[in-house]
Amino acid sequence: MIHLHPHTKIVLLAIVSCLVILLDSPIALLVCFLISLCFQASILPSWRQLRLLILFIGLGTWGLIYSQGIFYNQLPRTVIFTLIHKDVPVIGAMTGGVHLYREGLFHGAVQSLRFNTTLTISCFIIWTTQSRDLLLALVKLRVPYSLAFMVTTGLRYIPLIGSEAQTVIRSQRLRGFRYLRLNFLHTISGILNSLRPILTNNIRRATHLSEAVESRAFSADAATTSRTSLRELKTRRGDVILIATLIVCLLSVIGLKSIYFLYANGLYYASWLRGAYTFAREVL
Amino acid sequence: MAGIEIENLHFTYPSRNASTLGGIDAEVNAATFILLTGPTGCGKSTLLRTINGLIPHASGGKLSGSVRVNGTIVAEQPIAVTCQQVGLLFQNPEEQLFCIIVEDEIAFGLENLGLPSHEIDRRIDSALMQVGLPGFRNRQIASLSSGQKQRVALACVCAMQPQILLLDEPTSYLDPQATREILEIIRDLNKKLGVTVIVAGHQVNEIAPLCDRVWLMDTGELVSDLPIDQAFIDLKPYTRLGVQVPELAEVAAQFGYTERPLTLNHALRVFSTPIQGSNELRLPQHETPNGLIRSDGSSSEDESPDVTSASTPANPVDPDDVLAEAQRVVFRYPQTSVDVLKDISFQVKRGEIVAIMGANGSGKTTLLLHLIALLRPSGGQVIIDGQDTRRCKPRHLAGQVGIVFQNPDLLLQAATVAEEIAFGPKNFKLSRAEVEERLGEILPMFDLQTLKMEAPYALSRGQRQRTAVAASFSLYPDLLLLDEPTTGQDYYHLQQLMQMLDSTMKAQNKTVIFCTHDVHLTLKYATRVLLLHRGALIFDGCPDAAFADPERLEHASLVPPLTMQLRRFQNDTSPSSHENRPPRNR
Repeated sequence: MIHLHPHTKIVLLAIVSCLVILLDSPIALLVCFLISLCFQASILPSWRQLRLLILFIGLGTWGLIYSQGIFYNQLPRTVIFTLIHKDVPVIGAMTGGVHLYREGLFHGAVQSLRFNTTLTISCFIIWTTQSRDLLLALVKLRVPYSLAFMVTTGLRYIPLIGSEAQTVIRSQRLRGFRYLRLNFLHTISGILNSLRPILTNNIRRATHLSEAVESRAFSADAATTSRTSLRELKTRRGDVILIATLIVCLLSVIGLKSIYFLYANGLYYASWLRGAYTFAREVL
Repeated sequence: MAGIEIENLHFTYPSRNASTLGGIDAEVNAATFILLTGPTGCGKSTLLRTINGLIPHASGGKLSGSVRVNGTIVAEQPIAVTCQQVGLLFQNPEEQLFCIIVEDEIAFGLENLGLPSHEIDRRIDSALMQVGLPGFRNRQIASLSSGQKQRVALACVCAMQPQILLLDEPTSYLDPQATREILEIIRDLNKKLGVTVIVAGHQVNEIAPLCDRVWLMDTGELVSDLPIDQAFIDLKPYTRLGVQVPELAEVAAQFGYTERPLTLNHALRVFSTPIQGSNELRLPQHETPNGLIRSDGSSSEDESPDVTSASTPANPVDPDDVLAEAQRVVFRYPQTSVDVLKDISFQVKRGEIVAIMGANGSGKTTLLLHLIALLRPSGGQVIIDGQDTRRCKPRHLAGQVGIVFQNPDLLLQAATVAEEIAFGPKNFKLSRAEVEERLGEILPMFDLQTLKMEAPYALSRGQRQRTAVAASFSLYPDLLLLDEPTTGQDYYHLQQLMQMLDSTMKAQNKTVIFCTHDVHLTLKYATRVLLLHRGALIFDGCPDAAFADPERLEHASLVPPLTMQLRRFQNDTSPSSHENRPPRNR
C-alpha cells in the first residue's frame, strides 16, 4: 500500500469521500471505516502515529456524538436524559430545556463514521507519500507547478512552525508569563503576542525561501512551460486494480441508490429489481 | 570566464528613504577571489543580490547605475538566465533547502532550466563529488549535520555551473572544522575551475588567506578595494568600523612589521626577521605564551590556572557557591536510540562565565536546555540553585534563569523594545516605578536607548539579539544562558555584547553559560570551558588548558587561534622547548 502511486491515493480519497456521503446505513459506513483502518494497518504505523490517529478519532467521535445528541432537531426524537430542566430559571426558560436525544446520538455516531473514514484515509496518504511524489502527482493532475510547489513546501514547514510556536510559548513562560489567569484579556493578549514572533519569523523565512528558489531559476512562467523532471512516477498493476475496484464500487452504489430513489418516489418499478431495492434499503 | 563591472550603483529598498548602496564602482577580473567585509548593515548582502539579479527583479526598490556580468546588464535579463552565470549561497542552510531528499534539492534548479533527465542525473553526481559528498544522493536532508547541509546547498549552486560564485556569510552557522571544509571546496572551485568568488563574511581569519582582493564596505559605499598583500597594511579603517582583521596581521602591525602575514607559515617567516636591531619576537601586551589574550589584561601565568580536565577530579567547591550542577546526566530524545548526552557531570559556581564548545550536533544546545528544565535527563539529575529539574517546571525557574535561544526572534513578542524589556518585570508584578527604573538601567547598558520605541522585529539582526538578551537580563537572573550568541553577529557588536555581560554579570556575581564555536570569544571572556564530543564531556577546565591539546580540539571540531598555533610552533622548534621557560612578554 505504501508504494501506491500518489494519483491512486488521491483517487482513493476522492472516491471514499463520495461513498461516505452517498451511504446512509451505519453498517455500510462501519464497513468503510474498517476498510480505511485496514489501509492504515497495512503501513504498520509507529506508536506516535497510532496515538495521533486515536486522539483525532476519539475527539471527532466524541464531539460529533455529543453535539448531535444535544442539538438534534429532527422529529421524532426521544429524550433519554435531561441536562437542564425547562423549569431552571433563565437558561431553562430560554432554551426550553436541554436534553440528550437517542436519535441524536445515533445520528452523531453515523456522522462520526463518515468523518473518521476520510480522516483515516487522509492520514494514510500523508504518512505514506513523500512531498516530492505528491508534487509530481499534483503537477500531473494539471495543478499549476507554482501552486503545487507552494502546497507541498508549506506542508513541509508545518512541523517547524509547530516547534517554533512551542519555543515562543516557552520563552514567554520563562519570563514569568502565565496564560491561564482569571483575567481573560491578559490571556488573549498573551496569545496575540505569541503570534507576532511566529508570523514575523515565517515572513522572514518565506522571503529567504523565495530568494533561494528564484536564485535557482524558478519562475512561475518557466514552471509551466519548459520545466523538466528528474523522476517519473510509474503506475503499477496494483494501482490499476485498486482504482478499478473503487470505480466499480462507486458506480454500483450510485446505480443502486438511483434505482431505489426511482422506486421510492414512484417513478419506476420493476419486479426483477426487488433484490436490488431490498439491498439498497437494508445495506446502503 | 566571467568578469563583473559595477558602475555607479545605487539602490534604495522599497519603503525606505535612505539608500542602502550609495554609488559603488568596481571591476572584478575572472577567477578572482574577493573577501567582502564591513560592519553589519553596511550593504554587503544587498551588493551580492544586485550581482545575481535578485535586486531589482525580486525586490522592487530603486536601482540606478549598472552591474554587468560578461558585458550583459544583469538588471535587463531574467534571474533564470543570470543564475546560470552567477550562483548565490546564503547564510543559513536551513532557510535555503526545502526538499526532503538531497537529489531532489540539487535537481530543483536544473529542472527549472529544462535540462533533460540524463543531464540532471550527471550534474547531480558531479556536484556532489565537488562538495565531497559522493554517496549522499538519496540521503534525507534532515539527517545531515549543518556542515553537510551547507555543502548540499553549495552543490545546488555548483550544479548550475556558474562562472561566478557569491557567498553571503556561508560559514556563520558552522563549526570551525565544517567552516574549513567549506572554504577548501570554495578555494578548489576558484583555483582549479577558475570560478570567480566573492565571499561576504566576518570570519576574516579563515577567508583572508584564500583571497586575491579585499573589499571593505561602510554605509553602502566601497571604502577600499585592495589586493590582499596591501589590504591590511593600514588597519585603521577596519578598527574605525569595528571590523575584525586577521589576527596574525594584527600582531604583525602591533610589532611594527611591514608585512601582513595571514597564514602560519608566512607568519613564521615574517616573525623570524628581527625588527630594528631586536632579535626577539615581542608578543603584544596581555598575550601569554599560549597566545591567550584576556579581556582584563591578565594572563594565565598571573593567576595559576585551575585546570580541571574531565578525567581529573575537580577541586572541592563550597556547596553554597554552586549554582548549577549536572550529576551523571544521560539524555536521549524520544523514539531515538542514541544518547545525545552521555554521563555528564559538572558544577558551575556563581560568577563563572562558562563556554560550552563542540562540533555541530555534539549536544551543546541539549545540555543548555537541561539547565533551564526545558529538557529533563533520562538518567542522572540536574540541580539549579538547589532545585532538581526533574521535579520542577521551567516556569518555576523563571526569574532565576534566563535563556536566549539561537534564533532570538522567537523571544521578541512585544510591540516596542521598551515593552519587550518591561515584559518580564511586569509579569513579576513589579511596580511601575520599579519597571521604569529597570528600563533606565538596561536600555543604556545594551545601547538600546535610541531604539526603545522601535518595533523589535524591524531592527537589524545584531540589534534584535541585543534586545533579546536585554529582555532576558531584565529579570536579573542568577544564571543567563546564551545559545550561539555569535551567529550572524559582527565583531564589533559581539564584543560590545560580551564586554557588557562580562562586566555586569561579574560585578553582580552572576553566571553566564554560552554555547559557541568561537575560540577567540571563549579565550577572551570565558573563565571555564566544557568541551563536548558526541554527547560526552571530554574536557572541563580553564580555556588555555582546553586549547593546549590539538587532538582534543580536533575531537571537538575546533581550531585554535593562529597566534596560539604560532607560539606553540615556536616553542616546539626552539632548542629549549622542553624547558619551563618564563613568558617572553616584555
